[in-house]
Amino acid sequence: MTVTSFYFLVFIVIGAAIYYIVPKKVQWLILLGLSFVFYYFSAVPYTIIYLLLSTLIAYITTIAIEKYRDKRTNIAVIACTAIIFNIVIWFLLKGNSFWSHGVLLIEKTFPSVHFNMSVLHLTAAFGMGYYTAQVIGYILDCYWEISKPQKNPFKLFLFVCFFPQLTVGPISKYSQLECLYREHRFSYKNICFGSQRILWGMFKKLVVSDRIAIITTAIWADTISYSGVWPWIAVFLYPIQLYGDFSGCVDIILGTAEIFDIKLPENFNNPFKSCSVQEFWQRWHITLGTWAKDYVYYPVLKSKYLISIGKWSKKHFTKRIAKLIPWTLGMGVLWLVMGIWHGSVRHIAGVSLWYWGILVLGEFFGSVFKNMVEYLNIKSESYSWVLLQRIRTYAIFSAGSVFFAAESFRDALFRYQTLFASIKNLNPWTLFDGTVIRLGVTWGDVNIIILGIFLLHKIDTLREKEGMAREWMQKQIVVFRWGAWISLFFLVLIYGLYGPGYEASQFIYQGF
Amino acid sequence: MTREEVFERLNKVFREVFDDTEIVVGEKTTSNDIEDWDSFEHINLVVAVEEEFSFKIPMGRVVTMENVGEMVDIILELGK
Repeated sequence: MTVTSFYFLVFIVIGAAIYYIVPKKVQWLILLGLSFVFYYFSAVPYTIIYLLLSTLIAYITTIAIEKYRDKRTNIAVIACTAIIFNIVIWFLLKGNSFWSHGVLLIEKTFPSVHFNMSVLHLTAAFGMGYYTAQVIGYILDCYWEISKPQKNPFKLFLFVCFFPQLTVGPISKYSQLECLYREHRFSYKNICFGSQRILWGMFKKLVVSDRIAIITTAIWADTISYSGVWPWIAVFLYPIQLYGDFSGCVDIILGTAEIFDIKLPENFNNPFKSCSVQEFWQRWHITLGTWAKDYVYYPVLKSKYLISIGKWSKKHFTKRIAKLIPWTLGMGVLWLVMGIWHGSVRHIAGVSLWYWGILVLGEFFGSVFKNMVEYLNIKSESYSWVLLQRIRTYAIFSAGSVFFAAESFRDALFRYQTLFASIKNLNPWTLFDGTVIRLGVTWGDVNIIILGIFLLHKIDTLREKEGMAREWMQKQIVVFRWGAWISLFFLVLIYGLYGPGYEASQFIYQGF
Repeated sequence: MTREEVFERLNKVFREVFDDTEIVVGEKTTSNDIEDWDSFEHINLVVAVEEEFSFKIPMGRVVTMENVGEMVDIILELGK
């Protein structure tokens, strides 16, 4: 049951009806029950034991941390053991691409050695990357005394398996989800706003993203027929495809939670408005960035090793360089962890290394660039300059996404090779000679994509300005309001790309 | 140590970390008020405060600290 399916909508309607009918004290139990049902229909049912195992580890260790805090027991050891346990489970089941090649290599080199690889055939749990991150955050929050340990193991399990966020996150902190256990009153506004957000998410995914996916997939499947400008089009369209897919799913998830009066953290904030890569990562996949900052970056920077390196740098270099050395190392660890979380060497070597390199170069040569802008008397506040910076950030993200979108390391290298080779024979006239039709879309589809991108841009801008685009809509006259929502509904219904059985294609970020 | 004394010493730390002799912090000063105060400088600042006041600030407080007023509360609480 994907979150774009008809069955999911029925599931929400029935679930919400039960949720608001039952006594308020047991509402959290309904959410737990719904999470079980959702898991049963969305994943391999037995894999829920991994979620149970993670919850159990977190439950026992956080209670122990609280109990032994004032005694002479080393609670850091308890916290570390629990975190390592969770990482090991994730590593064995989800991170098998890291070790399976190594094991095969050892077996090949030493024929007498044979490993029992049955673990390779085990299915990972649904949303493992997301809930493992949440559990690790929860253990550290309890260890750092930010949160009090949850004494009810079933309530803790709800925090781990709350059904909407297992698909693609967001990665919530425990303090953000304590609202799960409170009493929730029925509110017409929540139902309306939640449904509207689900509809908007469906539009992004089914109408815009899946349509762009047809083009990008067809181009990379046959780079001989689609050479010249076409690979470049695929590269520059992919960020919008990914954004529509990922943020569309997040909209559906946040909208679903809103129907149940649960406010999940936002994951995107108009990312393509960013003028720098640093700003981009504060607007894109925000909850993963915040998680990595709070639980990886801060502890690494504050570790005695990095502080010592900082002090050593101060003695040997200028103040600016002395600051950049520990920053570069801290960022390196942060990006390494982000790469590992995505689950493959391709992500570490391609995506993480790329952004880390860009950020480090930006910091080291930032002052040179700033001086150049001043010397050339460029008005840095002017719209044209800001636009240029936004285009540059978009281009950097597009280039990095080649590694992300590719199917393997070799495929990524092939794509870069194709891009550079195609510069020699750019053929922009093929954009208008009907080549696009052979890609599997019509001119009507192209127009819908253009309209979709325009609407995405408008709504994101409105959301950033007003806080919530739906609040702005609420203030409009009734004809406009209803006209807009009904149009959006029919756009999704008529132009949404549904597969067999009306199940849409999978989400890109569902695999993590 | 009075609150005013803490602010006085904190101003010195902020000026040193951000390389700006003009900085004057108040109860409500946040990272939005000082241009270079990002997540990296936040830790630099915490480490500098720890050195100035000779104690360690727990990680939980480092993550949740929202403004300079809260930082002063922590210093007064831990510096007793």
